[in-house]
Amino acid sequence: MTVVVTALGVVCALAHDAPSFAQALREGRTAITERHDGDEDAPPFAARLTGFEPSHPAARRAPRPIQAALTTAAEAWTSASLDADPLPPGRVALVVGGNNLTGRTAYDLAAKNLAYVPPRFALHMQDTDHVGTISQALGITGEGFTVGGASASGNTAIIAGARLIAAGAADACLVVGAMTDLSPVEAAAYRNLGALAWEKPSVPFDRSHAGFVPGEGAACLVLERAGVRDVPPLARLAGHAQRLDANALADPSADGEVAVMTAALASAGATPAEVGYVNAHGTGAPRGDVTEAAALRRVFGAPGPLVNSTKALIGHCLSAAAVLEAAATVIQLRDGFVHATPGLNDPIDPSLRLTGPAAHPAWIGLALSNSFGFGGINTCIALATPDTA
Amino acid sequence: MDAEILALLRRTVVTVVPEIDATEVVPDARLADLGCNSIDRADIVTLVMEELGVQIPVGEFGGDHDVRSLVGLFGAYA
Repeated sequence: MTVVVTALGVVCALAHDAPSFAQALREGRTAITERHDGDEDAPPFAARLTGFEPSHPAARRAPRPIQAALTTAAEAWTSASLDADPLPPGRVALVVGGNNLTGRTAYDLAAKNLAYVPPRFALHMQDTDHVGTISQALGITGEGFTVGGASASGNTAIIAGARLIAAGAADACLVVGAMTDLSPVEAAAYRNLGALAWEKPSVPFDRSHAGFVPGEGAACLVLERAGVRDVPPLARLAGHAQRLDANALADPSADGEVAVMTAALASAGATPAEVGYVNAHGTGAPRGDVTEAAALRRVFGAPGPLVNSTKALIGHCLSAAAVLEAAATVIQLRDGFVHATPGLNDPIDPSLRLTGPAAHPAWIGLALSNSFGFGGINTCIALATPDTA
Repeated sequence: MDAEILALLRRTVVTVVPEIDATEVVPDARLADLGCNSIDRADIVTLVMEELGVQIPVGEFGGDHDVRSLVGLFGAYA
């Protein structure tokens, strides 16, 4: 049984659909900007989603994260020809990756007289409002739920979707990485923890790194059991793994990261030498970058695969990060390049084959995409060109 | 019937469901027939209460109200 990726949907600071996202990746453009509006409570460096208008009427009164998620789901649905070449009722599933997706809406309502809290918030305060809204808009009647894994949520959703297909519970699964819209309270918590880049810009794996730069975006992958419908696959989901560190803190662990990459490779039936590219978690948090660099060295040795971090272009999209990065990995596999890491001039580990300001043409074959979340949640997926066994 | 409350209700209906034409919000119309779902109707009622600065028990809105009786209910509390 083979699970393939048949379509992508993307909305982020860099692009409002998957084809423009692919173009921006090839060009190595970054959407991270410094704000100059005098708002001292907002992160000074960020990749914000601006100029985006949701096209679907069901998103009319929805909070921004649902508008973004539905837009990506609708793009992927159309791109996968799920309207023109439908599956039987109940055979399409929907898994939304993300937790704590409603903090901004709750924050905005907190000052309100409680008698006038909009009744609609009883729906909007549920992360699962994503499931309800997207399923209604697209007519999805199979299984549906949210899964959370902090910054690894997107990969936990991809893994859950792949397992629904492998178990025979669905023929296709829309996997959505939901947008995190940080409220001022949530941004302050990250800042006060020292996790956010605040004083200066921060580039993953560069000696100047000083915390993560938040990004806003959502993405959707259509996963399908190969051979059920006659649609050309973009990539094959060759393997996946998740490992906990048994640690509630925000501390990364090289042992946990080595374990999860090794398990993902075993799940793909592949050796480290077959991996052409790693889409790193690479947030720009100094300890996280150093830990992941050490884990990559231990798994791959030298010279190892090409490595970059899509967060250098779109910021750290938190709940959505892993699905956006899976989409970026699929595009790079398909189009034969490894995108630039703009601003990476002084790498923390010269032994890693990190991309710098320019993209590398590359036939990747097999790629890993890492995502690690607070609370010791390590995830890794393996994606391959569809014609490789 | 209170013309100001009717005008407020019309504006609020269109704010919540922009597809509805304000001229359709007439005394004999029912919000459900105009295309407002249950959540739209609850939001409309809450927004009108907020605008009028009144609090009306939710149970009061339980019946099958037309626009005329809604305006009357708001008017009774305003």
